[in-house]
Amino acid sequence: MNIYQPHLMRIREITDETIDTRTLKLEFEDSAFAEQFQFSAGQFGEYSVFGEGESTFCIASPPTRAGYIECSFKATGKVTQALRRLDVGDTIGFRGPYGNHFPLEEMKGHSIVFIAGGIGLAPVRSVIWNVLDLREQFKDITIIYGARTVADLVYKRELEVWASRSDLKLCLAVDPGGETPDWKGLVARIPTAVEQAVATAEDTFAVICGPPIMIKYTLPVLTKLGFPGERIYTTLENRMKCGLGKCGRCNIGPTYVCKDGPVFTAAQMRDLPQEF
Amino acid sequence: MTHSFLSHQGFAALVADLLAANKRVIAPVRASDDPGQVDYMPIQKFEEAVFGLRLPRRSLKEFFLPPTEVLLHYRQTKAGIEIREVPTAAPPQVIFGATPCDAAALEVVDKVMGWDYRDELWFGRREATTIVSFLCTLMDSTCFCTAVGLGPESFRGSDVLLVPVDGGYLAHVITPKGEALLQGHTAEASAAALASAETAQSEARKKVENNLADIPAELSGWLAANFDNPLWKTIALRCHGCGACAAVCPTCHCFDIVDEHDSADSGVRRRNWDSCQTSLFTLHASGHNPRQSQSERFRQRIQHKFSIYPSRFGEILCTGCGRCSRACPGGMDLPNLLGEIVTLAQTEPEVSGQ
Repeated sequence: MNIYQPHLMRIREITDETIDTRTLKLEFEDSAFAEQFQFSAGQFGEYSVFGEGESTFCIASPPTRAGYIECSFKATGKVTQALRRLDVGDTIGFRGPYGNHFPLEEMKGHSIVFIAGGIGLAPVRSVIWNVLDLREQFKDITIIYGARTVADLVYKRELEVWASRSDLKLCLAVDPGGETPDWKGLVARIPTAVEQAVATAEDTFAVICGPPIMIKYTLPVLTKLGFPGERIYTTLENRMKCGLGKCGRCNIGPTYVCKDGPVFTAAQMRDLPQEF
Repeated sequence: MTHSFLSHQGFAALVADLLAANKRVIAPVRASDDPGQVDYMPIQKFEEAVFGLRLPRRSLKEFFLPPTEVLLHYRQTKAGIEIREVPTAAPPQVIFGATPCDAAALEVVDKVMGWDYRDELWFGRREATTIVSFLCTLMDSTCFCTAVGLGPESFRGSDVLLVPVDGGYLAHVITPKGEALLQGHTAEASAAALASAETAQSEARKKVENNLADIPAELSGWLAANFDNPLWKTIALRCHGCGACAAVCPTCHCFDIVDEHDSADSGVRRRNWDSCQTSLFTLHASGHNPRQSQSERFRQRIQHKFSIYPSRFGEILCTGCGRCSRACPGGMDLPNLLGEIVTLAQTEPEVSGQ
């Protein structure tokens, strides 16, 4: 079998998240393959528009929802702009799932704090819904999500669903200046929001994803709250081509994001060469 | 392993038989654009081959990982996309006159190509190929195969190694594939032929051994611990970032995957050679680039070959062929640079950056 051969997927639904960010709901054309397709939260794939090329995104939907996957992307480069031109019913290519995943089994029976900024909510969303679909197996759930402005918040309908649930704590924030007159959330950056929303690190895992600058200033807050590096999980991105450990471009020193990651603990990140 | 004797006539007949049977035969030939240079090329006649003239300009890599190759064909129809797969099985081919460094490189790259996911395009060609290497007598000052555990007489990656002796070649028959190839073309090797081959082999070794001392096993760990050493700031000053080193390197295997239209509704997905020395290699869509300067990109090249690959796969991603030094427009000389790094590692074993 040719490992670079994609599976064909149909676009079933398109949701515009922001002015330039879009979510596609995808179904495999080959129903036999769809039946046996499995993945875990945190894994990624190579999505392709034929004639334009492949692009790497996480799977943004949870493995607990069978029959489809979702991906969210910002129309930035050649492939993502081409993806944005597609309609419901169009076909794309998908290779995956690749990489490691968040340790859901290990997290069972414990509390989780989810922290995301901007489109960094996409991989975290897969874990959040996975956990919410198995809600009774986890303790307290806290979601802290922020973006530059209200318009930049993604998955807005789901934010409303989470806000209405009594079995989780949702804390939304936008950067100062990004609020609208009717904004009811915090006007603060993520590190401040975390300080306000998280009381204890006891018996709690942290899952964090967002721009590097956000992670840089949030990790010290988590450390101060008492989270050991081994209980803070994040997911890294790097430019990739194969996703399979062969094309040689996603490595950070000896660590291959595609094979050793994309999910790493803060403790592992501290030991990586500072080249990401 | 066995030994036999292959006469000059027997060798010519063997190649002629393969060509008559429509097998693809690859051998060193005079370069079409520069008769003073040699390239590995498919031949139609035994007489086209030139053995022992010069080191081929490029390695054997292109016969296993072509500079560009189609991964799939696609066509857009009203009903959706149709994909036409490319075959992973390759037609049989025999390579004559490989240098031992080029043959060994294939086995080194096998490790990453088989890492969890098996690259069947690579292995399809590997399995379909029989490699007959020649004892290398073509070394120059940029060669350092002995420093990376190989040598001009190394068997690694070869099915047969031929050593010129009086009247023909002493054949070291290394694999069953090699044995099958030579079947019926060889005679018993005389003691004199064996002795003469042994002398030729040790003499060839002597011609390259002094170029660079053996790379110490500790270098891999030292490089990993010295990711931020100031040496990286200065070592790459002459690097233009052109990627010529990667193109001629027998072990550089990094690639890009791109799509190409060949009409409004059809086209191909291709894999093309790429190089970590170019600035676009790691550039994110956001504009962020983890390796922003040439010093970081050159550090990646050295770290990948002499630390990352050894830590992952237990061996150096370099066979000491010297091509990067010969191809570099900036005059970067890998054996020299390695010598400097090894000296630094020995004088400052604990340095780990700023």
